[in-house]
Amino acid sequence: MPATKPERDGRVMAEPWLSPRARRIVMVLAGIYALFVWMDAAGLNLPDRILPLPMRFFLQEAALFPDAARDAIEYRAEGYRCDTGRFEEIDVRPFFPIQRDDKESRFYRAMFFHRRQKKVLEALDQFIVSQQNRAHPDLRIGGVMLLSLRIPIPPPGTPEGRYQRLPLTDYPQEVERKYWYVTPPGERTQRCEEAAAP
Amino acid sequence: MRRPPPEVTWWSRLVAWVDTPQPIERLALARIVLPLVLLSFQASRLVHADHWLTAIGFRVPYLGGHDWRQPLYLPALPPWLAWTIAAVTVVAGLFLSAGFLTRASAGLFSALLAYLALADRLEAFTVSKLGPMLALALCLSPSGARYGLDAWLRRRRNPAAPVPTHVRGGVIRFFQVFLCAMYSGAGIAKLRGDWLGGDVLWSHLHDNYQTWISWALGRAVPGWGWQGLQYVSLTFETLAPIWFALRWTRPYAVIAGLGMHALIGLMFGPVIWFAMLMSTLLLAGYLPERWLRRLFRAAPIAVSPALTPKTTSGRGSG
Repeated sequence: MPATKPERDGRVMAEPWLSPRARRIVMVLAGIYALFVWMDAAGLNLPDRILPLPMRFFLQEAALFPDAARDAIEYRAEGYRCDTGRFEEIDVRPFFPIQRDDKESRFYRAMFFHRRQKKVLEALDQFIVSQQNRAHPDLRIGGVMLLSLRIPIPPPGTPEGRYQRLPLTDYPQEVERKYWYVTPPGERTQRCEEAAAP
Repeated sequence: MRRPPPEVTWWSRLVAWVDTPQPIERLALARIVLPLVLLSFQASRLVHADHWLTAIGFRVPYLGGHDWRQPLYLPALPPWLAWTIAAVTVVAGLFLSAGFLTRASAGLFSALLAYLALADRLEAFTVSKLGPMLALALCLSPSGARYGLDAWLRRRRNPAAPVPTHVRGGVIRFFQVFLCAMYSGAGIAKLRGDWLGGDVLWSHLHDNYQTWISWALGRAVPGWGWQGLQYVSLTFETLAPIWFALRWTRPYAVIAGLGMHALIGLMFGPVIWFAMLMSTLLLAGYLPERWLRRLFRAAPIAVSPALTPKTTSGRGSG
């Protein structure tokens, strides 16, 4: 516990528990940390060159929103219905309950970071299919299509309605759809056959 | 024989500046509020610890160890352990805020926040990365010396002991320097990005971060107004070390910083926790001393002017 000692001028200093030598070392390390945070944001890549990934990760925190968004991005999923043999939108939000309605949802984050990484998208495919089939055994799916919507942003100052999440079918043609992953047809068929087996 | 005065070097000046006593209320403010902000940010994750840290939720598979999107691969936990970590994180954060077993709870809180940030990149944001460092700073400083349960218990054991009024400046200097580094770095990143010519602020108002305030402002503020806000923000952030170093600009910089964070917090949904964290650091680091004392209702110390170093008198303590 920090003891206290009165000083001549009436102040009472809280006694630090680190030794003077340890405080100096901490001071230097703290200074280096602040400098590296600044360097990372300023585009000076010295920290990238000398630090391992897990340490670098804790420095990447100052360069926030540097670029303009070209479009508002929404990530969505369509499921391959085993009964109809067609893709229809499925609401994946219940399967990713953390911040489920905004772009901090795990589904959004997974698509944002890993939309070009097949290995992650395959894991996402398996996860969504198993969750959907557990939650809705009467509406089984054999695979997914993972896509993003690119919703155009109007010119600055244009009055517009509040943001609302719309079903995929309600978006007009000018909203571009980019498909990042589709479960291979053989895989979809196999999963549906397994689901149908007694 | 008199000993010759110690040689003044840049290092000795730096050490003296770092060690300049600071009102203990600065540290107490950070210790009380920061853990609550960090826990509030984590709350929506902690209540779903099973979806966050175990195989019940979606887990990104191992990506080979050299992928920036996965700084460290940590395997899924069993559910009982995930819930235990969530519970201990909450307890450690609350203990730290209350100033109870302060050093141990701060150390534990810092370690758990670091684990949570690394365990799952999908749930790691700026607040997740800042949290461990700030908790560690509280751990390494005498942050439980006053305005907490530890201090109250010490006082009950020894009522005659003097109550600490100041701390050595190290941890407060860290908050002050770190804020300048953060703002300045952010400003330079924005300069290198689209903030000079693009419609950055406007472009981020249209997705599911939108609040009713950002929607209303989007309708009310003319197009050039957003560009103007970008320039104001750029000027404040890029030159932050100057604004906060000069005594006469410092109070205005605090107000500008708080205003900027208030706007960010109100306009971008979940970003409110980042805004509150930065605002707390701003207040703890730079709030003028008389306002700080009023906040804690602490009586100003009667100090002989002749004995008072300039850096601790009134406005000069920042």
